[in-house]
Amino acid sequence: MGGHLNANHLLFLGHGALWTIGLSLIALIGGGIVGFVIALARISPLRSVRLLSAAYVQLVQGTPLLVILFLGYFGLAAIGLKMSPLAAASASLTLYVAAYLGEIWRGSIQSVPKPQWEAAEGLALSRTQRMMKVILPQAIRIATPPTVGFMVQIIKNTSLASVVGFVELMRSGQIVNNSLFEPFIVYAIIAAVYFAMCYPLSLFSQKLERRMGRGSANFSLA
Amino acid sequence: MMKNRKLLGAAISACCLLALAAQPAFADLLDDITKAKKIRISTDLAIPPSGMMDSSMKPTGSDVEVAEMLAKDWGLELEFIQTTGATRIPNVQTGKADIIISTLSVTPERAKVIDFSKKYATLQSDIGCLKSLNVKDWPDLKDKTVGVSRGTTQDTMLSNMKDKELKIARYDDDATGVTAAVSGQVDCVGSSATIINQIGVKNPARIFESKIPLASFELAIGLKKGEPRLLEKLNAWITENVKNGKLNAIYKKFHGVELPPDMRG
Repeated sequence: MGGHLNANHLLFLGHGALWTIGLSLIALIGGGIVGFVIALARISPLRSVRLLSAAYVQLVQGTPLLVILFLGYFGLAAIGLKMSPLAAASASLTLYVAAYLGEIWRGSIQSVPKPQWEAAEGLALSRTQRMMKVILPQAIRIATPPTVGFMVQIIKNTSLASVVGFVELMRSGQIVNNSLFEPFIVYAIIAAVYFAMCYPLSLFSQKLERRMGRGSANFSLA
Repeated sequence: MMKNRKLLGAAISACCLLALAAQPAFADLLDDITKAKKIRISTDLAIPPSGMMDSSMKPTGSDVEVAEMLAKDWGLELEFIQTTGATRIPNVQTGKADIIISTLSVTPERAKVIDFSKKYATLQSDIGCLKSLNVKDWPDLKDKTVGVSRGTTQDTMLSNMKDKELKIARYDDDATGVTAAVSGQVDCVGSSATIINQIGVKNPARIFESKIPLASFELAIGLKKGEPRLLEKLNAWITENVKNGKLNAIYKKFHGVELPPDMRG
């Protein structure tokens, strides 16, 4: 107990930071893929698909991530399904992120002005062509800021994975702090590392918005 | 966060019930451990001085040494299962870990969902206050805020003392509670003597001392219910190492005091 911060502590925190990055990537890639399917399902012409996907979104959005993680790891094990911490965390984060991204993207797709849909239909494009060539390119622009905002949140939310035994950045900080009793130094370092992960993402989003904004100066809500 | 905690509590209870319902009677945990040549021990490495990291980030502490000694005596490889205080019990219930050695106090509530070995140590908890504070008995604590670690037995005990009119501040872990005391957020804490002494080490201007003894908790090894052979073997191991004084030596090394006379061998 006690002592001073040394290279080993920093290494331990670095290892935790790698897990935070890894979990975030899994969440964003897995959640992105499933979320895209959810977004399309939410605007499906089939009523049953719409209802089912809406129910999924409501269920997951109404449940804290902590509880999803807990049930994924301990709950499934209790009924005999073995899940490794990585599998449980990946699956839970994917489910969680998908519900939010799906909803963000559905909103973006639907906020593409109605005349654009009608014009595409008037050109006799198929439903897939309409989506791919007309609607999605415009929806992506609308979706970028909220998507990045949510990604930044997810990076920080991966700290909840400590409940299934992950020693990610936040938990590694807690362990170091409980050996050193130096909360200000330890948590200042952790804050700096989280910031270093999130800020570039925000910068990237701004750049992306500017780039995609080009050529759409005349874009108006007809 | 508060809401999350409550929900987590509900989830834990739900899992406990599920685990009770899905109690497999056929497998014998001791056979599984022997076959795997490895024992998986659930230890929280963020509760000093029982579980913590040394300056080279290797696990250390009294529970860590007890676990290491057990694995060595039984000729098994040791794997620490990372856990937080709240997930110690679910870890053994759901087979993620074989046993818990993690300052687990024996309580009737816990005994409903897991089995306990004999006690391998005790933990004296006190109400510790700023040395200059005139606190002799419970009435002196009225209108004073007492810091505790959330979900610990100290928290449960103090929370149940409704008639004492205590103000309780709950912190995430011992290190945060110590910081609250060091920085002047609280003048009293409910914790072990080791932690109470640690406050003065961090801030010599605010030396704390034990004022009112709270309780002496029996610490035991926790395991899944219905594993009589493993339980028996654990008990025999504890009896032997109480008698030869090894458990007392470990305790003294980290906690600075000896175990009660009946456990000194």
